[in-house]
Amino acid sequence: MTEGGKKAPVEGVTSTLTQVIAKVLLVPTLMIAVATLFKGYAQTGDGFSAGVIAALAIVLQYLAFGREVVERYLPVQGLGTLSWLGLLLALGVAAVGLFRGDALFTHYPAPGAEVIHIGTVEVITAVLFDVGIFLLVFGYAVGAVRIIAGVIQRQESGEPEEEAVYHDTEERLARREERA
Amino acid sequence: MLAVVAAPVAALSGSLRPGLAAPVGAGIAGLAAVATLVGWLSGGGAVDVAWAPSLDLRFAIELDGLAALYSLLATGIGFAVLVYSSRYLPLHLEHEREATGTSDPGVRFYFFILLFMGSMVGLAMAQDLILVFVFWDLTAIASYYLIGFDRHKEESRASALMALLVTGITAVLLLIGALVFYAAYGTFSIPELVELTEPGALVTLAGGLIAVAGLAKSAQVPFQFWLPRAMAAPTPVSAYLHSAAMVAAGVLLIGRVYPLLQKSEVLLNALLVIGLLSIAVGGIIALTRNVMKQLLAYSTISQYGYVVFMFGLGGEYGAMAASFYVIAHALSKSALFLTAGAVTEATHETEISRIGGLARRMPLLAAASGAAAAGLAALPLTIGFFKDELLFDAALERGAPFAGLALLAAVLTLAYTWRFWSGVFLGEARGHAERVPWALVAPVAVLGSLVLVGGILVEPFAALARDAGAASFDAPVEVEPAYHLEASPENLLALATYAIGALVILSRPIWIGAARAFARAGELAGPERAYNAALRGLNRFSDFIHTIEVRDLRGRVATILVPSGILVGLGILATPSGDVYRVGEVTGDDVPLVLALAAAAIATVAIIFTKKHVTLVLVLSSAGFATAVAFAFFGAPDVALVAILIETLITLLVLGTLKLIPRKVLESGARIPVRQVWRKGSVAAVAGATAFVVAWGTLSQPSAVEGGAAARLTELAPEAHANDVVTVILADFRALDTIGEVTVVALVLLGVATLLFRGRLP
Amino acid sequence: MILLISLTIAIIFGAGAFLILQRNLIRIVIGVILISNAANLYIIAAGLSRGEPPIYPLPEGAQVSDPLVQAMVLTAIVISSSIAAILLALVYRLYVSHDTLDLEEISRAERRAAERLDSGESLDDRESSEGRPEREERP
Repeated sequence: MTEGGKKAPVEGVTSTLTQVIAKVLLVPTLMIAVATLFKGYAQTGDGFSAGVIAALAIVLQYLAFGREVVERYLPVQGLGTLSWLGLLLALGVAAVGLFRGDALFTHYPAPGAEVIHIGTVEVITAVLFDVGIFLLVFGYAVGAVRIIAGVIQRQESGEPEEEAVYHDTEERLARREERA
Repeated sequence: MLAVVAAPVAALSGSLRPGLAAPVGAGIAGLAAVATLVGWLSGGGAVDVAWAPSLDLRFAIELDGLAALYSLLATGIGFAVLVYSSRYLPLHLEHEREATGTSDPGVRFYFFILLFMGSMVGLAMAQDLILVFVFWDLTAIASYYLIGFDRHKEESRASALMALLVTGITAVLLLIGALVFYAAYGTFSIPELVELTEPGALVTLAGGLIAVAGLAKSAQVPFQFWLPRAMAAPTPVSAYLHSAAMVAAGVLLIGRVYPLLQKSEVLLNALLVIGLLSIAVGGIIALTRNVMKQLLAYSTISQYGYVVFMFGLGGEYGAMAASFYVIAHALSKSALFLTAGAVTEATHETEISRIGGLARRMPLLAAASGAAAAGLAALPLTIGFFKDELLFDAALERGAPFAGLALLAAVLTLAYTWRFWSGVFLGEARGHAERVPWALVAPVAVLGSLVLVGGILVEPFAALARDAGAASFDAPVEVEPAYHLEASPENLLALATYAIGALVILSRPIWIGAARAFARAGELAGPERAYNAALRGLNRFSDFIHTIEVRDLRGRVATILVPSGILVGLGILATPSGDVYRVGEVTGDDVPLVLALAAAAIATVAIIFTKKHVTLVLVLSSAGFATAVAFAFFGAPDVALVAILIETLITLLVLGTLKLIPRKVLESGARIPVRQVWRKGSVAAVAGATAFVVAWGTLSQPSAVEGGAAARLTELAPEAHANDVVTVILADFRALDTIGEVTVVALVLLGVATLLFRGRLP
Repeated sequence: MILLISLTIAIIFGAGAFLILQRNLIRIVIGVILISNAANLYIIAAGLSRGEPPIYPLPEGAQVSDPLVQAMVLTAIVISSSIAAILLALVYRLYVSHDTLDLEEISRAERRAAERLDSGESLDDRESSEGRPEREERP
């Protein structure tokens, strides 16, 4: 993330190489994320790790292209909402049992019952629950990165942070005395 | 049933589209009202689902008479209030904007008022004490945000906090009462409890606790002080709060658990006394108030005092009359509040003495609120006449002294209602008055005409009240309010009310001094002072704790680490150590694990000696990655995957933070004197040694049960259609924990966002 | 093996404790991260069995790792990383409000603020930027 910065600065951010790699990697990384999500029940991985992988794909774009370019081309704004949707989905799956007279978080189909397969993906509510987790984590991680990117940009554009004047550190006091 | 679901839905849709919030909200409120009405007419319905069977918690709601009454009030008056606010709120926000320069679309108003409505409906229908408690607290939360709607005003915030504290703390009493019942009878269900309980000290105690919660919410003495304060809210909120929601919730609760309260003579008598005190305090102070909304607020205290009084009187008249009274009062009072709002909007004045003679300029409003006022004052041809008739009936049934008290109460009502209406609409014209939009007048007109309709066609209202009374009384109620043109005791009492009321109004100059002195005395020695004193005391206490606990954080940490180290050391000395610690063999397969562990340890130690911050981050992440690799060699690929991913994210986060902070600041306080290094080093060494002994000791002694839960879980995984046991534990066996975990994650995002964005969401 | 694992845990925990005792906030945060690392390692080491990953089809005869501790550790990792994130945000916030990451300095400033609060002075100076004269003369 830092290695390209010195050699050939493009738009003052990173090198062309990084950008090309970032662009190439975006879709495969997202695919891996989705695979991790749905294969989670059969192999290593679950909704959480899938969410982080997908988020890292987006983070790479931020690092390579900078905030403005990414937010122009990728629909990242909606991801915050996505994470709340994920939470709702997970809670919704949890509540399914309630409506069918079972305990909270009863997953369907019942143990031992026949499971419908689509390819290698098994259709069970636990997978749906994991999808909710995925959305939540994905939205969360990208949201955090966006926020920090936003603050960095604000700082670089010279916009001053507000001062909470009621906490006078010695440095601040000294500065004020200088002014006076 | 629709009503329960409809309100949250409305709130959501309203919050998504700012412009549409008002019409959507009002539409859904109206729809919910109609749905409730249809539901009631078709005989009600019930839902009963166990949502945490292991704790005996049930989601039990039923649309019985009591539920129908309060749901209809909540949704019907909610509808009127929402129509009113669709015009009032933009005006209100306009004023605030001029005053403070802040802009605020006010969507949250609709969100919270609909949340309020939804939880009120839920509360009305709930048949389970825990469910009651949940909805109860929801109304408290909604009211907190509504009362504090003008959040830039300190007064608003303080009032909101006061309402929340008074009703929230007493809500805990409700919970305790519920738990006492549960401990004794093993159920939270109110109908079951009614059958099971026997009169006795237990019922008095638990019922009393629940009744206190209800009384606090209904702003009865000595909890009355929060209600006048709550007038800081925008007018539609006040109207709603007073007539159909917050305050009504208190008497709703009392009505709901009334079959239980009835079993204790003590409680009934306490209700009588508190009701009477509230009538007197509220009524007398209302006579002295000059600000319109304040007058109405004290009148509410007094009016709900009636209801509590009637519950205290008991008998079938008491139960039915209380319900009827709530209907009549809700219609009148909401209309009067909305009138006050409209008048303020027209004249920009809030005090009665600065307004007058508005009848000529706002004839429709004057007529409509006149009808409402007449209803409150119990004049004939209004629904209010019957409420007083029933009051006298109930009092007479109990005995002549009570009838006398009821008479005095009615006189007070008449006096302050007259003061409000005549002060605003009669007399000589003062000040200017602008035209007000129709949406500010129409709801008042509708409510006013309902008051009149109820005066002629009382049967529908009476039927509703009878149904509700039956639910409270736990037996069918046969009370028929009607006009009897004869010299019955009730009619004589009503006539006496009018006569004495007129006298009181005319003799105002004589008693006003005494009444003011009473109000002053209340301010000086009333419970509000106790509340404030308690609040200040708590504040000081928290400051004190803060001073000794937090100021010196590192000292605190050291005082935890060192003594716990000493204690562990003592513990080890005291226990036999022979054959406890096992070194454990290292086989050839373990070499990768050993290497990974060594890498983690070395990288960690390197962190201590790193000075530059970027290097620090890199060393930190290598320590993290080494740990992740160790996880992999523990046979935990899932953990290793997540650890690596998380480590990457954390590294990025730390780097981002470092980038935001200038280097000079980053290194502030980084260098510490050598002497301190030694001290800290030794504390850390003690901590490390403690960790070592504890870890070694516990790891040497694994659980006696070979396999245990782990083996069982591994066997169960295929049953849950999964191959990866870890995933199935997370998503299925321990899914509730996972939900908790990701909720933490979501809240952290909120926290980070607010911290980075100056307290606002991006 | 048990001894080695315990030693590693102890080293990581001790290093974390040392960092938590520092004055610099960034180091304190790193200390917290290290201590959670140590805790995670401890939890996973507490598993009853160690061997092949617990993923079906299970290898014949070979020992399978304890899946329960793994699930616990997963939760723990997620929570501790969330804590790290919020701590970092707090550090940034403290920098914005105090211009320093020195704990002692912050604590002194807070004591001063508390004293001013006790003496009845208003803390909210924000209105000063909206027209009121700035109160520079305050000590």
